[in-house]
Amino acid sequence: MTESATARLRSRRTVAGVGVLVLLAVAVLAFVPGDVTSQLDNVVLEVGFLSATIQAAVPIALAGVGGLYAEKSGVINIGIEGLLIVSAFTSVVATYFLTGTVGDRTAVWLGFVTAVVVSALFALLFAVICIDFKADQIIAGLAVWLLALGLAPFGSTVIFGQVNSAGVPVFQRIAVPVLSELPVVGPTLFDAYPTTYIMFVVVPLAWYVLKRTPYGTWVEASGEHPEALDTAGTDVRRTRYASVLVSGILSGIGGAALTLSSAGRFIGTGATMVDGRGFIAIVTYLMGNYNPIGTFLSAMLFAGMESFQIRLQQLGIDVPAALIGIIPHVSVIVVLVFFGYTRIPDRAGEHYESGDE
Amino acid sequence: MSERDAGGVREAARAAVERLVGASRLERALVSVVALVLAIVVGIVFVFVSGFFVPDAECATPFLATPVGLFCYNPFTVFYFLVVSAVSSPFNLAITLQATSILVLTGLSVAVSFRAGLFNIGTQGQMVFGALASGLIGPWLVGQVTQGAVGGAVVIVGTVAAAGIVGGVYGAIPGVLKAYADANEVITTIMLNIIASGIAFTVVSEYVNPGGNIQTEPLPSWAMLAPIVAPPGSRFSVLVLAGALVGAAGLWYLLNYSSFGYDLRVSGLQPEAAAYSGVDARRVIVATMTISGIFGGLAGAAFVLMAQGYWTDGLPAYGFDGITVSVLAINSPAGVVPAALLFGVLKSGTIGFQTSPYVSVPPQLADVLRGIIVLLVAMPEFVRMVGVRAGIGSLGEEGVTAPPGGDDADADVEVSPND
Repeated sequence: MTESATARLRSRRTVAGVGVLVLLAVAVLAFVPGDVTSQLDNVVLEVGFLSATIQAAVPIALAGVGGLYAEKSGVINIGIEGLLIVSAFTSVVATYFLTGTVGDRTAVWLGFVTAVVVSALFALLFAVICIDFKADQIIAGLAVWLLALGLAPFGSTVIFGQVNSAGVPVFQRIAVPVLSELPVVGPTLFDAYPTTYIMFVVVPLAWYVLKRTPYGTWVEASGEHPEALDTAGTDVRRTRYASVLVSGILSGIGGAALTLSSAGRFIGTGATMVDGRGFIAIVTYLMGNYNPIGTFLSAMLFAGMESFQIRLQQLGIDVPAALIGIIPHVSVIVVLVFFGYTRIPDRAGEHYESGDE
Repeated sequence: MSERDAGGVREAARAAVERLVGASRLERALVSVVALVLAIVVGIVFVFVSGFFVPDAECATPFLATPVGLFCYNPFTVFYFLVVSAVSSPFNLAITLQATSILVLTGLSVAVSFRAGLFNIGTQGQMVFGALASGLIGPWLVGQVTQGAVGGAVVIVGTVAAAGIVGGVYGAIPGVLKAYADANEVITTIMLNIIASGIAFTVVSEYVNPGGNIQTEPLPSWAMLAPIVAPPGSRFSVLVLAGALVGAAGLWYLLNYSSFGYDLRVSGLQPEAAAYSGVDARRVIVATMTISGIFGGLAGAAFVLMAQGYWTDGLPAYGFDGITVSVLAINSPAGVVPAALLFGVLKSGTIGFQTSPYVSVPPQLADVLRGIIVLLVAMPEFVRMVGVRAGIGSLGEEGVTAPPGGDDADADVEVSPND
């Protein structure tokens, strides 16, 4: 197929995908009783909805950008769900144990740092398995997920006596002086949790690094044409390690955002409180075509659906909660069907053996 | 391509596949065994370390008191009672075999798709829907027949058929999405698991039992699979185990002696070779996922008809355990049976030792060990290296009797954080 034909097919599928998503939204609204539909304008246009969406986007967007780096470099990290679980859990545990000795505010920050470190260590373990021990990346990623899915509820039961943890202190919102006074933009963007600000720094930075720095070029080459990178004298192995580590650090921030910027506890029942966000994150970078900005926008889309369903429940609208709860997951499948063709890096998923060894 | 050429390519592909498989089969089985032993070693260290985090007030009989704190769990007791409580009484053995039978089914569900190169994580959701179908069709059938052996048989056969069909259809969905829209099956199946729970929960809480418990109407005992050889009152039926073993044998035959099975295996090993030799990749994908879904659905029926008697929210994670069973069994139907037995022991042992006064480790230990096992089996290179160092000659050139150094180093770091 020629280049332009592919592009045309692509844009047609994109249009179709957006169309289906809109249809899906309409179908959901059809389920909502009539007297409520009139309230919906308020639901979506409210300032609270927007800031809830941004907050819900933090774990997904950060994990998505992290996963993007790993996959760009040639290591498909399907275990980021596990990294989110691990960091969500360790952030709560560390905060819980420290809060008595160092005070709440410091404890939360230390809990946050611990979560990022532990998540990075897990990512490092994953990197060793995939890069040095040549494991199948998909199986290894599943292993990281399954391990986290076992470890966190187990640890919670050991420490707290049940799979859900005790409550811990959370981050305080930080209001930027002056800017937070602005209408609409102020309360949504400039009166937020630290993790939200981190996301707003990380997303453009990740874009800049990927597109405008030598490291970004190495990441790209490491996933597309590792031999070329090798020949040019850059260590493929090191590039891949660094990129997987990025996915660990960013997922760590995301997982901690889930607990320390909102829930204030770890919930370990079923799929845990992470509830598939790591897998949704993978879909966001596919949908965003490996562009950090696009990834962020996709994350906003899924986060919007998440806060929409929470909003419906808060308003006491009589739609089965469990049914609304699956909206984001159904959308993931719809998106994959229409964007699943995204061309993944040529050598992603493959082990690379340097000629030097 | 002419008929003749196609035949030639097909022959060459077959030879290549047979060589690949034959050479590595034994080695991979050995890797599984070594990984398992390693997993137990890692598990022992893990249990010991996690004992440190038990609040001191909760720890009546610490295993080890050190200056840094109490280590509450004795890992050796834990693993000893894990095995003992899985087999110690006929009743406990029945629980072990109950888990084993269901795990054979979920293991086969995963194995058939993995063999085709499809990472189907959706067995859990297929099982949830199979169980839901059983929980809905079963009580309805009970109302249609008269109580008795014949009536019971009708209910059971009808329920099993319904669960298989529902599971198969639900399994086919990600197959179709993969075959025709190239949607990554790992993600679609995981999403479909969550969707299955959400839909099942909604159906039962809104329509079947509104305002009550989130469960379907219990089946009367005459419409369930009775314990035949197991002690009365236990929830294990040898019929399920027999059925699961027949399933394993059937899948083994299908994979190894049918042209469809050949297409499936080639698709998994060398998709390009499969395409060259005229395999219809889309058909193989959809058919494989359907078979996988049928096994998942049947696992749900087995759970309802043998163990629980009704569908309930929060089914045990037999579907995810099926991944471990299959990976450990190197995705072979014959290997699934021992792997499922092993995991049955793990499942029932971790539940069983809750009643032991000597063990206070949470039952989620089974899920941790599940993760460790998959992790180790995922890196055959590492396991091979450890195996060679431990003196298992066939994993390498020569056995060296030095202890597995890398592993010891890990243990040191974990046990004494002061170092």
